[in-house]
Amino acid sequence: MAAPLGFRMDASACIGCRSCVIACKSKNGLPPGTHFRRIIEYGGGTWIPDPEDPTLLAPSGIFAYCLSLSCLHCEEPACVPACPTQAIQQRPDGIVLIDSGRCTGCRYCEWACPYGALAFDSSTGRMIKCDLCVDLVDGGEEPWCVTSCVTRALEVGPIQELRARHGQLDALAPLPSGEQTLPRLVITPHPHGQPAGQGTGRSSNPERDLR
Amino acid sequence: MSDPPGRDQNRPYHLHRRDFLKWSAVAGGSALVVGGLGAGLPLLRGPRLPWDIEEPGVPAPGPVRLTGGEWIPAACWHNCGGQRCLLAAYVVDGQVLAVKSDDTQPDTPHAPQMRACARGRAQEGQVFGPDRLRHPMKRRNWQPGGGRRELRGMDEWERISWDEALDLTAAELERILGEHGNESILELGSTLRHLFTGLGGAVINWGSTSWGTWLDTGPMIGLGDGLSRTSHNDRLDLQNCELIVLWGGNPAWSAQGNTMYYYLQARRAGAKFIFIDPYYNDSAMTLADEWVPVRPGTDHALALGMAYTLLDEDDPQHNPLIDWDFLNRCTVGFDREHMPAGAHPDDNVRDYVLGRRDGVPKTPEWAARTCGVSAPRIRRLARRIARTRRTALLTAWAPARTHDSDSWPQMFLTLGCMMGHLGQTGRMTGVSCWERTADGGPFLIGPGGSGVPPLRGAPRRTTARINNSELWDAVLEGEYTAREGDRRSIDLRAIVHDGASALNQVSGLLKGIEAHRRVEFVLTLNFVYNTNARYSDVVLPVTTQWERHSYFKGNRSHLTWARQVVEPQYEARDDSWIAAELGRRLGLDPAEMLPLSPEQEEFNRLAGAWVVGPQGQGRERLVTITEEDIREMGVQGQPQKGRITLAEFREKGIYVVPRRPGDGLGHIAFEAFRKDPRGHPLSTPSGRFELHCQTIADHVRSVGFSRIDPIPVYRPPAEGYEETFDDFERGIKGPFPLQLMTLHYRRRTHSVFDNVAWLREAFPQEFIMNTLDAEARNLATGDIVLIRSRHGAVLRPVFVTERIMPGVVALGEGAWADVDPGTGLDRAGATNVLNGARPTGQGHQGWNTCVVEVTPYRGPIRLQADWRQPPRMPQGAV
Ligand code: SF4
Repeated sequence: MAAPLGFRMDASACIGCRSCVIACKSKNGLPPGTHFRRIIEYGGGTWIPDPEDPTLLAPSGIFAYCLSLSCLHCEEPACVPACPTQAIQQRPDGIVLIDSGRCTGCRYCEWACPYGALAFDSSTGRMIKCDLCVDLVDGGEEPWCVTSCVTRALEVGPIQELRARHGQLDALAPLPSGEQTLPRLVITPHPHGQPAGQGTGRSSNPERDLR
Repeated sequence: MSDPPGRDQNRPYHLHRRDFLKWSAVAGGSALVVGGLGAGLPLLRGPRLPWDIEEPGVPAPGPVRLTGGEWIPAACWHNCGGQRCLLAAYVVDGQVLAVKSDDTQPDTPHAPQMRACARGRAQEGQVFGPDRLRHPMKRRNWQPGGGRRELRGMDEWERISWDEALDLTAAELERILGEHGNESILELGSTLRHLFTGLGGAVINWGSTSWGTWLDTGPMIGLGDGLSRTSHNDRLDLQNCELIVLWGGNPAWSAQGNTMYYYLQARRAGAKFIFIDPYYNDSAMTLADEWVPVRPGTDHALALGMAYTLLDEDDPQHNPLIDWDFLNRCTVGFDREHMPAGAHPDDNVRDYVLGRRDGVPKTPEWAARTCGVSAPRIRRLARRIARTRRTALLTAWAPARTHDSDSWPQMFLTLGCMMGHLGQTGRMTGVSCWERTADGGPFLIGPGGSGVPPLRGAPRRTTARINNSELWDAVLEGEYTAREGDRRSIDLRAIVHDGASALNQVSGLLKGIEAHRRVEFVLTLNFVYNTNARYSDVVLPVTTQWERHSYFKGNRSHLTWARQVVEPQYEARDDSWIAAELGRRLGLDPAEMLPLSPEQEEFNRLAGAWVVGPQGQGRERLVTITEEDIREMGVQGQPQKGRITLAEFREKGIYVVPRRPGDGLGHIAFEAFRKDPRGHPLSTPSGRFELHCQTIADHVRSVGFSRIDPIPVYRPPAEGYEETFDDFERGIKGPFPLQLMTLHYRRRTHSVFDNVAWLREAFPQEFIMNTLDAEARNLATGDIVLIRSRHGAVLRPVFVTERIMPGVVALGEGAWADVDPGTGLDRAGATNVLNGARPTGQGHQGWNTCVVEVTPYRGPIRLQADWRQPPRMPQGAV
């Protein structure tokens, strides 16, 4: 059985530049309004009277970091059981794919996925999502998001190997805890990374925020 | 799918990859079957492009099937400030199916792939955009002499033939030249420069834009401008730093490509980072161990407070903070014992800082009030930077893009010299930005010359040059400053936009529109309907670099050779062809204007391409060229031996000089000078760093806008923090209480790419404001705000964040102005509507000094999300 694949995302190196987002759009021919991959910006902190000079304001605990996310090809994908027509299936190597022939566009999967990974294609009335560049992966190449990263913050590979090398962390605020779907994701935290569910900041792109 | 009426039936604009794929799907006959789930997953779907969204019935999005074509190295050709990356376009039968970046070599930290940014990857969005200018156009109500000039920017367009366009352009230029002479034509680009040289010249513009005051001050004090001459060490030596100070810069936005990767490597090697910036920007987010927020235009005051701290606390025995040996040997002007010849001994930096010269000690307390950093923090900052031996004291040009900042580079240098952070491994002071971010030193590779001989121009009939900040006044008022005490009258009748984007990208945009409506003729050469084109009378469509023969560009350690990707789109022609055709009509010899074929120019660049030898010794030829290569290219030349074959370079489109520590290709700026300043003098009059520099003081004076001292004296800038007050002493705020910063924005390279839907979506043109300022005005993210300066007003959605200092707001430069004719409000957020044309100092653009007020907007104008707005198209002609 093929070793399941997953992503490693180095949040300490991600600059939020969206090269991966555009590479993904280019690879998949996605129009504006449709994303397979997104950047989530999270940050917080405040301004207080400067303790050393009350005539000035000083930053207090201001932080920010970015996460680059697509479908996480989870071990227990919430989208798969949510689909009434069994249109979403997982290959032995973990890649979650939509059979567009079976998809009826009911959008239940979109509601089920905690990562907002599924997109509704209004031109066909079907759901679409990241397929991990399966055409490339099957040919031994890497997905375009990975090879586009200018700070080398993305990596794809057998998830067991990635976890062995980079640890077990699979969520940072504002992501939901990984317990729900067991995402095949390893995050290298940003120095200011905050634990999922306990974040003190807010996502700065709320319109595309996770539910 | 039928074309709307008027569209060129021979080259329907959407015959690009979508239609091609539909066709190929039919011809191929089989669906692409992927993965282990087999035939249940028919994934071959024609890809959909951003500009297709309004057309119903297009195939679903899906991965592109790449067979039957080839990857062609493709240009990314803008003044982007990035590393100059490699793109490749997959082309089948003249159609581009996909765009990728460098994968020609394994990716290693020392020899990384030259990976493109989001903009480069979206390049197809502008080459094949729906708003490509397709054919020559004439403004409907234009007549020779101007016609209804006030309609510029609002008029309809008429499609005309190339012959008609060239004839009437030549006739109008001839008429204006005949009636008003060469000094009546203002040329604001350069692609027709040969034409105007042949005709006896035209009036041109001048003035530092990107560099701020580093352009003139940097070289005159001995440091360099940061582009043509750098003063930082190479990228591998950055990894020897213990501390890297980035003072006013955000490479993650303004220097894309690999540059942040280089800084990350330094961080992994152990360097700590301090960011001094009004904005906790994305580079700070990634790298900063410490963030010091400072108000725009007050960096000089902060640096003075730090210099005072060093002088105050330095004790050579017990607390050495100042490198006196370096100051004494390598600089002039720091104290009265080390003055350059002819200087008054009172004019020394030390006495100025301590207040002996003007009675005002530049204490941290004095500085805090202006710069917004508390005095204790200023002291700690000065101590930390001075005590960390291997420190890179780096800045970008932004703090120098402020009014009256001609002495700032000198102040920055003064700090570096006081701490001795120059000329050794891990130690450097100067500019690290734009293309040269994080990698200083002379180039290791480069192309040869084109071999085009300089044109024999006609005798020049004008030498007038107008500063960018006086351009529109010169048109409207008929006067400009030639130099100190020398105001001249001028009678401008035509504006020629041969490239560049002057109307949008020079301060005082609303005045610029007025100026465009004043003259008799406005000509634009471009490939998109940008702001220049919109306010013109005749628009000539030019090719993009993807439609031209070849393009060479690189950076310190790589060279790219991009080739023609597709045929010219629609009726677009090269600028050089247009110049020759206009020249022919105006009595010049076109053969002289196009002396070499594009193939011969390409060959000359290849044959002359060089790469540094092993251990940095000498230069070698880069390319091996055989007799057969020369025959195939159809050019004149000699075979030669080089490092790689022509075939390899042609296929990959890139050569990267491999780097590793100790390879002899590193660079320590000013190393020899520091060891032996007499034996290796700088090019300044004193041969040393000039902390007292008469050259720059005389230069600024001669320009005629303002005066500066020969030492770095702080001058409150026009439209700086001080001007947010009615009464600075008593702390009473004025009508424009906020300071606007004008940022390089990720969506664009200056104004280029603003029209690309993918990028408009990824990077909305939002107005950045601190939470406290927003609360005070009852604003939340997404609210539409009216931003007013003394010079104009724009509308934008606000983005509220703690990451910017209270009192400071920011907007990205380069959005294509969209001025509502009724209200005069710009809907796009073009920063030059807000930034006024104010000539100061060396005549640079002072974009980071501008005072504004922000209020909720409750008027009738509605703004759509940027990416939902339809592309801007010329009315009537398409
Ligand atoms: S950094 Fe510059 S050269 Fe590189 S892809 Fe971006 S725009 Fe193009």
